[in-house]
Amino acid sequence: MIDQSSNRAWKSFAWAVLLVAVVVALTPYVWMVLASFKNRVDLLSSVPKWSFAPTLANYPAVFIDKEYWPLAINSVLISVSSTVLCIVIGAPAAYGFARSDFPGKEDLFFFFLTTRMAPPISIAVPLFLFFTSLGLIDTIYAVVIAHTSFNLSLVVWMMRGFFAEIPREIDEAAMMDGRSRLGAFLFVVAPLAAPGIGATAVLCFILSWNEFLYAFILVAFDGRPLTVGIPGLVTPHGTLWGQVAAVAIVATLPIVLFTFLVQKQLVRGLTFGAVKG
Amino acid sequence: MAIVFDGVTKAFPDGTVALQALDLAFEPGEFLVLLGPSGSGKTTACRLLAGLERPTAGRIMVEGRDVTDLPPRLRGMGMVFQNYALYSHKSVYENIAYPLRIRKMPAAELDRCVRAMAELLEITRYLDRRPSQLSGGQAQRVAVARALVWQPSLCLMDEPLSNLDALLRLHMRTELKRLHRELKKTFVFVTHDQEEAMTLATRVAVLREGALIQYDDPREIYRRPANRFIAEFIGRPAMNTFDGDVRDGVFHASGFTCPLPGKPDGPIVLGIRPEQIQLVDASAGDAIRFAVDVVEPVEPDVLIFAKSEANALIVRTVNDDRAYNPGEPLHLRFPPAALHTFNTVSGARLP
Repeated sequence: MIDQSSNRAWKSFAWAVLLVAVVVALTPYVWMVLASFKNRVDLLSSVPKWSFAPTLANYPAVFIDKEYWPLAINSVLISVSSTVLCIVIGAPAAYGFARSDFPGKEDLFFFFLTTRMAPPISIAVPLFLFFTSLGLIDTIYAVVIAHTSFNLSLVVWMMRGFFAEIPREIDEAAMMDGRSRLGAFLFVVAPLAAPGIGATAVLCFILSWNEFLYAFILVAFDGRPLTVGIPGLVTPHGTLWGQVAAVAIVATLPIVLFTFLVQKQLVRGLTFGAVKG
Repeated sequence: MAIVFDGVTKAFPDGTVALQALDLAFEPGEFLVLLGPSGSGKTTACRLLAGLERPTAGRIMVEGRDVTDLPPRLRGMGMVFQNYALYSHKSVYENIAYPLRIRKMPAAELDRCVRAMAELLEITRYLDRRPSQLSGGQAQRVAVARALVWQPSLCLMDEPLSNLDALLRLHMRTELKRLHRELKKTFVFVTHDQEEAMTLATRVAVLREGALIQYDDPREIYRRPANRFIAEFIGRPAMNTFDGDVRDGVFHASGFTCPLPGKPDGPIVLGIRPEQIQLVDASAGDAIRFAVDVVEPVEPDVLIFAKSEANALIVRTVNDDRAYNPGEPLHLRFPPAALHTFNTVSGARLP
C-alpha cells in the first residue's frame, strides 16, 4: 500500500529537484540570450540588469560588419561532412565487429576506444604537424578529418551494439533471397538499424558542431567554424560580450531546435533493440 | 544422384567438429529430414547446403555442379529459419515480394506471384500487416511463402516448427506435407523431433555427433534401427532396451529372462518396442513378470511404466479400462519377431 500523502510529498520533492536542475541548467543560457540583445552599457552595468531596452545591433555588427556569417557555413560543412564520413566508415566497421569473428577482434575493438582515452590536447600538436606536412592546415578538410577520427570510435562502439541486436538470420535470409553479403548489409540490415544510425549521426553532428579545440588549432582564418570565431571577439580593447553572445546564440540555436525536433527518435534510437521479426 | 554431400567435414574455429566426412545423397523431389539431437550437426549440414557456411573439407554437388564455393544467392535455394527472420521494417507483402524484387521481376507478374503464394499459404488477409503484428504460425507461413515465392528448386527448413505451440505445430506439419506434394519441390527439413521426421520424410538421415548413423525411409528406421541410439530415439515412446547376457539360448537380465535362440553366449542388448509387448494372463507359462510403477493414459492407449529389479520398461497398449495399480504384478510376453538385438559395446544392430 502506498500512502497517498507521502506519495504526494514525494512527488512535490521530485518536482522541486527538477525545478532546481532546470534553473541551474537554463540560467546561463537565458542570460546569454538577454546579453545578445543588450547594448554595451547595459552589459557592463555593475548591477546585473533583467530589464533593459533591447537592441538588435549585436547581430549585424558581428555577422555582417565583422563578416562572421561564413563561419556558420563552415560549421555546417564541417559537421555534416564529418558526420557523413563517420557513418559511411563507421557503420560497416561496426557491422564487421558485430558479425564476423577474427583473431584479435576484441583487442582491435578496444583500440578504437583508446583513441578517446588520451586528453584531446595531448594530440593537438602532433595533429597540427601532421596536417601542416599534408598541406591541409587552415582548411576545413583538416577539421573534418580530425573530427571524423575522434568520432569514429563513438560510431563503432555505439553501432556494434545496434547491429548485434539484429538477428544474424536476417542477413542470412537476405542472402538466401538473393542478396550478396554487402547487399544484405546495405539493403536490409542498414534500413533495420536506421533508428540507431540516425541517433548516432545526431550525436556525431552535435559533437563536431560544438568542438572547439582541434578546430581552433587547425584553422586560423578562412576555415573557422563559429566556435573558433568567438575568441576573435576578445580584443585588446576589451571583450565584445554582446557580439560573443550573438555568435553563441547562432551557434547553439540549430542544436537546440534540432534536438527538440528529433528527441523522440533520438531516444528510440539510443534504446534501439528488440527488433521483432 | 542430384544433391550430394561428398566427404563434407566442418570444423569451427573453436575446435568443434560439427560434421565429420558426411556422405549423403538425395534425389530432387524428396522430402529429406535431417534428424538428430542438438549438437549432431544437422543444422550445420543444412547451412552448408545453403552456402551460409563453408565446409572445411569435401564437396557439395547439386545436379552435377560443384556448389561448394558458391555464395548463397547463386545456389537457387530458399530457406526458412527457426525464428522466421522476417524483415520487420517491411509489410508482409513486401517480405514475400523481396526475393522477386531482387530479381527485378516486372510489377504485374510480381503481384501475381506474391498473391498466388499468399493464397496457397492462406495469408492473403495479412498482406498489409507488419511482421510484428503476426502470430507465430502466421509469421511461419510468411517465412515459407518468402522462401518459395521465387520457385527455388530446393527449400531448406531449419527447425521451422520448433517455435510454434503444439497444436499449431501439428497443423503446420500437415500443411508442409501438402505443400511438398503440390509444389513438387525438394525439401530439406532439419528437426530434433522424431515424430516430425517420421511423418514428413520420404527419407530420414539420422545424425549423431557429426556422423550419419542411419539413412533410410522412415518405416525402415522404425522397424530396423541401425543401432541402440536410434532405437532409443525413434518411437513414441522409444524402444525399451535391456543390458544382459545370453546363456544357452536364453537372455538373462536383472529381474527377468527371455528365450533368445540363435545368439552366441555373451553380453548383448535386447530391445523391444513398447507397443509390441503383449500383456498375458498370470497363468501363462512363459510370462515375464514386472511390477507396475506409473500409469499414464494417453487415450486411446495407456502407457504402463513397470519395473523389475534394475530394469524398467514401458508398455503401450489399448486402454481397455482395466485398472493397473502400482506395485501389482504385470505379466508380459515378448514376441520373438519383435525382438531387436544390439552389440553391448558398439551399440550396432546384430543380424
